[in-house]
Amino acid sequence: MTARSATLALLAFFVATLAFFWFAAPRFATAGNIENLMSGFSFVAILAIGQAFPILLRGIDLSIGAIVALAGMVAFDLVLILHWPGWLVIPAAILAATLAGALNGVLIVRLRLQPFIATLATLAAYRGLVYSISGRQLVPGLSTTPIRDPWITGLESYLDIAGTLGLSDLITLPWVPLSFFVMLAVLAGFQFMLGSTRFGRDLYTVGGNVEAARLAGIAVGRVTIVAYALSGFCAGVAALLLVARLTTATEALGTGMEMSAIAAAVIGGVSLSGGIGSLYGPVIGAFLLGTILIGLTLLGISQFVQQILTGGILLAAVAYDRVLFLRRQRRLTANLGEEA
Amino acid sequence: MSEIESVGAHRRNFLKSLALGSAAVGAASAGLFTDVATGTIGVPAARAAGNIKMAFIQWQPHTVSSAWSKGIEEVLKTQQTVDYRLLDGQNKVEVQVSLMDTLINEGAAVIFLQPIDSVALAPSIAKAKRAGIAVLTLNIDATEPHAAHVEMNHYFGAMDIAKALGDKLGGKGEVAILNAPPGIIIRDQRTNGFVDGLKKHHPGIKIVADQSADWSRKKAQDVATTLLAANPNLGGFYGVNDSMALGAVDVAKTKGLIGKLVIFGNDGEKDALESIEKGELTGTQYTDVYQQGRFAAAAATVLASGLVPATAFKQQGKLLMPYTIATKETVASIQPAQRW
Repeated sequence: MTARSATLALLAFFVATLAFFWFAAPRFATAGNIENLMSGFSFVAILAIGQAFPILLRGIDLSIGAIVALAGMVAFDLVLILHWPGWLVIPAAILAATLAGALNGVLIVRLRLQPFIATLATLAAYRGLVYSISGRQLVPGLSTTPIRDPWITGLESYLDIAGTLGLSDLITLPWVPLSFFVMLAVLAGFQFMLGSTRFGRDLYTVGGNVEAARLAGIAVGRVTIVAYALSGFCAGVAALLLVARLTTATEALGTGMEMSAIAAAVIGGVSLSGGIGSLYGPVIGAFLLGTILIGLTLLGISQFVQQILTGGILLAAVAYDRVLFLRRQRRLTANLGEEA
Repeated sequence: MSEIESVGAHRRNFLKSLALGSAAVGAASAGLFTDVATGTIGVPAARAAGNIKMAFIQWQPHTVSSAWSKGIEEVLKTQQTVDYRLLDGQNKVEVQVSLMDTLINEGAAVIFLQPIDSVALAPSIAKAKRAGIAVLTLNIDATEPHAAHVEMNHYFGAMDIAKALGDKLGGKGEVAILNAPPGIIIRDQRTNGFVDGLKKHHPGIKIVADQSADWSRKKAQDVATTLLAANPNLGGFYGVNDSMALGAVDVAKTKGLIGKLVIFGNDGEKDALESIEKGELTGTQYTDVYQQGRFAAAAATVLASGLVPATAFKQQGKLLMPYTIATKETVASIQPAQRW
């Protein structure tokens, strides 16, 4: 099964899930609900896109939740303490997140740390850093002050497509949140990079076989650092969308989000054994998780059951990935055997 | 009207007037469920069709919130016309926001909310208000005005704790505060009330330390040990919650200081009351949290059955819970059924 047909299979499963809840769950099939799905899970999709890069390199980035908090707090401090204008805050927060991601890459490359260990360490370190720079604690009163900068709050706006096209008398379409378009832009940009640039090819090569890549003259270290920086970049973008949605940042922001992002990426067919997968899969994976969570809530099913089910789906996805991996290996050995 | 058509009705009506929408839905479903009548005179047509929905979004599973939920459920069940459920915020603001969106879309009549953060949930509360949904917050207020806030009497209760603690110390000596981490309103209320209470009733008592023990019994044991070593003349502890006060009790036990140290907690949970009966913990502020849930549910029921929309409020309602300062002398008055 090729990566493309795996994505199509996932898409079919997603559509089937949507269809199930469309008819089974009360008030699932409403414009408002689709809006909620888009605004509530676009940032998860962006995190999943970011997570795909380390996983493509057979690595993992556990620190993205903490990077979300870090970028969020940088934005919080710059707006509420230093009174920077929003158009400066946005790139600054994303830059901070990208640097935090790049540092992960540097630790992995220069110190030859396992990605799991390196990002587990920075997960703790970045979270501690968030507490120490938290404007909520440094300046009394800021913990109850919302962010009102129009550049930032503007990220949480909605587009009335039907109204713009003059169709609102004929059909009620959901208002599409800006965060959804941001997600589409991130997806388009990075998918192009993966599919059509030298860097993309190098990334797949390194993920598939590091030694071969090194022998082929690819700068493995640089590719790795860039991959983790991209993961940080995505966490920064997601953080800004969250800050816009919440009108504040908290120290605990993003806790546990790495789990959702990794789950979405793996469900999306990005192979844990590296080198295989596209960015469409993680996005579909994120919205699949969102659909299931919202659908089950509307059906009145306990959230503990929801968490168990999410775990079950993740397990199934990992098992499926393993099966594909073993099948590829068998085919490879068979081919080698034929040649010999 | 078939299910799909009625779903279509939902979609078409969503972005137009919500009032118009709910009336149409009400009329549509009134045709579907012929009057199995509630027996009440003058029940509006829209209501006769089915039960109204209320939900409580808690912070995370905890003794306090589950006791609230029990109290809420007791009252709502009796009404026969309310479907109630408890939803778990998983200690994550974005989960609470997503659940708020889902409940707004579902057309809940009332949302009970224990916000994780006062600012982060404000946009969701505003959204609920626009949809005519009454939001009642429990214990932690939000910066966006809403229907009502029902809280344990944090500030005035802490003043009374200061008075009782000072009385036990004979009006002089040194005390330390085992505090919560900053950034949450109730921490400030419970601390400021204590500080102001000492100033007012016992100006001779000095606060020599105010340290965070993260709400935790374990952490409080470490902090209390350090504080005792650093302040040999320390006469007492005030734990901002019972867990931290009980941590100080643990330390007092191992050091043979029971009876010598005056230790007060706050909340009044079962373990604390038992510790007071055993003569270990000196006292705590006890609130009947079942009752707090019942009060919130009573207010909600009156609003919903009186068809009072969220927008009818000129300003936010507020209800402070009655409390007892439980000490060895008064603890017996708290009945087993009131303990949580």
